[in-house]
Amino acid sequence: MERATKPGRVSRFRPRGLIGMSYILESIISGLLLGLIYALLSVGFGLTWGTMKILNIAHAVFAVLGAFLAYWIFVKVKLDPILSLPFLAALMFLIGAVVYKLAVRPVTRAKDVVMASMVATFGVATVVENLMSYFWRPDPRVLKPVYSGSSLFIGDISISVGPLIGCAISLCSIALIYWFLHRTYTGKGVQATWQNPTGAALAGINPERVSLITFGLSIASAGAAGVAMAMVYAFYPAVQSVWTLFVFLVTIVGGVGSVIGSALAGLLIGFIIGVSAAFLPFVWTNVILFALLLIVLLFKPEGLFAT
Amino acid sequence: MYVALTESWNLLGGYAGYVSLGHIAFFATGAYTTAVCMSRYGISPFATFLLGGVFAGILAALVGFPVLRLRGAYFTISSLLLAVVMQLAFLNWEFVGSSTGLWYKPVPVSIVANRTIFYEAMLLLAIAVTLVARRVERSRFGMGLAAIREDEDVAKTMGINTPWLKMKAFILGAFLAGAVGGIYGYYMSYVHPDITFSMNASLLILLMAFFGGCGTWSGPLLGAVALSLVNQLIVTFIGAEISRIFYGLLLVVVIIFMPDGVLPYMRGLLAAKDA
Amino acid sequence: MLEGVRVSRKFGGLRALTDLDFAVEKGRIVGLIGPNGSGKTTLFNVITGLYPADSGRIIFKGREITGSKPYEIARLGIARTFQIVRPLMGLSVLDNVTAAVLYGRENIKSMAKGRERAEEHLKFLRLEEWRDAPAQHLPAADKKRLEVARALATHPDLLLLDEVFSGLNDKEIEESIRLVFRIRDELGVTVFLIEHVMKAIMGTCEKICVIQYGVKLAEGTPEEVSRNPAVIEAYLGKKKSC
Repeated sequence: MERATKPGRVSRFRPRGLIGMSYILESIISGLLLGLIYALLSVGFGLTWGTMKILNIAHAVFAVLGAFLAYWIFVKVKLDPILSLPFLAALMFLIGAVVYKLAVRPVTRAKDVVMASMVATFGVATVVENLMSYFWRPDPRVLKPVYSGSSLFIGDISISVGPLIGCAISLCSIALIYWFLHRTYTGKGVQATWQNPTGAALAGINPERVSLITFGLSIASAGAAGVAMAMVYAFYPAVQSVWTLFVFLVTIVGGVGSVIGSALAGLLIGFIIGVSAAFLPFVWTNVILFALLLIVLLFKPEGLFAT
Repeated sequence: MYVALTESWNLLGGYAGYVSLGHIAFFATGAYTTAVCMSRYGISPFATFLLGGVFAGILAALVGFPVLRLRGAYFTISSLLLAVVMQLAFLNWEFVGSSTGLWYKPVPVSIVANRTIFYEAMLLLAIAVTLVARRVERSRFGMGLAAIREDEDVAKTMGINTPWLKMKAFILGAFLAGAVGGIYGYYMSYVHPDITFSMNASLLILLMAFFGGCGTWSGPLLGAVALSLVNQLIVTFIGAEISRIFYGLLLVVVIIFMPDGVLPYMRGLLAAKDA
Repeated sequence: MLEGVRVSRKFGGLRALTDLDFAVEKGRIVGLIGPNGSGKTTLFNVITGLYPADSGRIIFKGREITGSKPYEIARLGIARTFQIVRPLMGLSVLDNVTAAVLYGRENIKSMAKGRERAEEHLKFLRLEEWRDAPAQHLPAADKKRLEVARALATHPDLLLLDEVFSGLNDKEIEESIRLVFRIRDELGVTVFLIEHVMKAIMGTCEKICVIQYGVKLAEGTPEEVSRNPAVIEAYLGKKKSC
């Protein structure tokens, strides 16, 4: 894609064939936007892992569920996904609470909570994925509100509105979660339980309630993330395993349980995606990402940005 | 077929306590080996299924080296990653047919004969793998794995070379799964990343192992036989997706109520009734 | 038999061990004492290879074992018990010991022989009645004996005991003291033990090392050490002159 330089501007960069500066910038920006969306996807996952030692492999499938719900609301009621988001988040919170009561809480009594939660949520993920597939057919869907096709222009650079909105959703959600954890009473209770469960319990914080709220919050954030993802990608029930990959990627690179860590990891990953998409064929992007994941797993499993 | 797969998974999963969610990757390696051999070189699968096992074993050796060093949760995630990454990779690799999959001519025998051969081959494999599992469990190797499962640090202080043992279990399990895949590839005469790498199969393996009880050789056998029957019934009479939903639910139930397997659970119930 | 030269180990900012020298001579019973948190268990962990030493050397039977892997060290002849007992819970008592025998230094590979030998070890520690019980059902004192049985089953030359006397009543302490001597005299195993129970230390050790805050405070016979003012201060605090 050749981009003409603005009149009067001396171009200091010789575009190497098809690659021009603007193109690179666009790629990086859209990568960053995407990265933040992945970050939101992972924040909830890291939250339950860090606080309750629950490895919720079903996290991504709830994101897909969120996307589907937003889609149906949009199609049936003609309500814009951004507007339906608060309602959706509340609904997902409730769903999360139910799942917690049914499938997750019993697991916390197990000998090895991490392992048991993984297996149990693996089951939950399959159930939810196939429920969606059964009722809503496995075909891909796209969320296409009026504005999603257009692009914003800043100088030479065009930014697709879809990812932009998705990123905005992510940023707001991440900020909300951070505010909740650090500024509200309940949120601080969650943090306390995470850092010192016995101490927190002794201080009068009800661990049951904390777990319930945390899990509900986690699923709600997954739902929101699903909507954000839907702004960029087509979705279908089976895509949840691919999204799960990205959840792991961001969480492990960013450090478990840290909201800021996930956000930073998201940005880093987004940056890498942007850069490699600009210079390399598509498939290499994924290779690089997973190589990164492997390296982090081997050398710094707590994550690069762990607190 | 599932008997063989589950028993081979259990070597690392149940005996050593390292739960792998990506076992299907080894199965797929075997299936693809057969597929490629048959489609490109026309070699009969009965020669190549062992080759499939070998390739799977090599994959396990390569991957196991970094991955087996990780603790429980991280290991499981990595194993899942392996399967999904392989699936994605195969989707884009023309050598194995990328997204259209690989069709190849089956051995020119009648359909009925085909099925019988497949059935018998699988039965043989199932018996073979179960016997292997039984031998391992009762051997010094099995004891070492059990020690690792119970307390890996202590096992190390007992003189058990933990990385080596884990690797052996991993490679052995992979080899067997690959061999199974090799035969499967022959029967299906079509491989495709989405089908051959089915996550659903991974779920079933886990379920069968946990349901039957994963510490012993008899557990996966019981689990696989019982659940395969149930699976066939549900799929035939109700529907594929429903069966998967059922399995997901069953997995959740199993892990909550009977993590040691259905038999100990039943015994517990009966004992409670008598009391 | 075992020698440490300027062994150091840090955990983040905390200096667990600093330039520690120690020596355990063959055939002796040597004690390691010090106030809580002085780094005793850390030293054991470093010796057995569970943690690497940051600097310094550890030499066993003339061979350098600094930085070796735990199972290598076990194969060379060092066995240990853990302060908080860690039996292999899901296995029976007999299996716990059998596993140790099979991977121990007598190179016994057959299951049958392994079980036989394991029974002998159980007899030595008077645990035979428990042989088929799941390890987790053992009462605490017997779990400790199981730890020792498991350690001995690997046929070591040196046995590291980590606070095996804690929580025992007087009678049990007497029995355990006799056990330590039996280990040394009947099995020919050198013993290096960490202890808080004074009666046990005084009753068994020929030499005692005292450490505090990861640094060696004193070393010598029990009498010498108990009269050492620095040691007294470490345990009781500075004497205030009234």
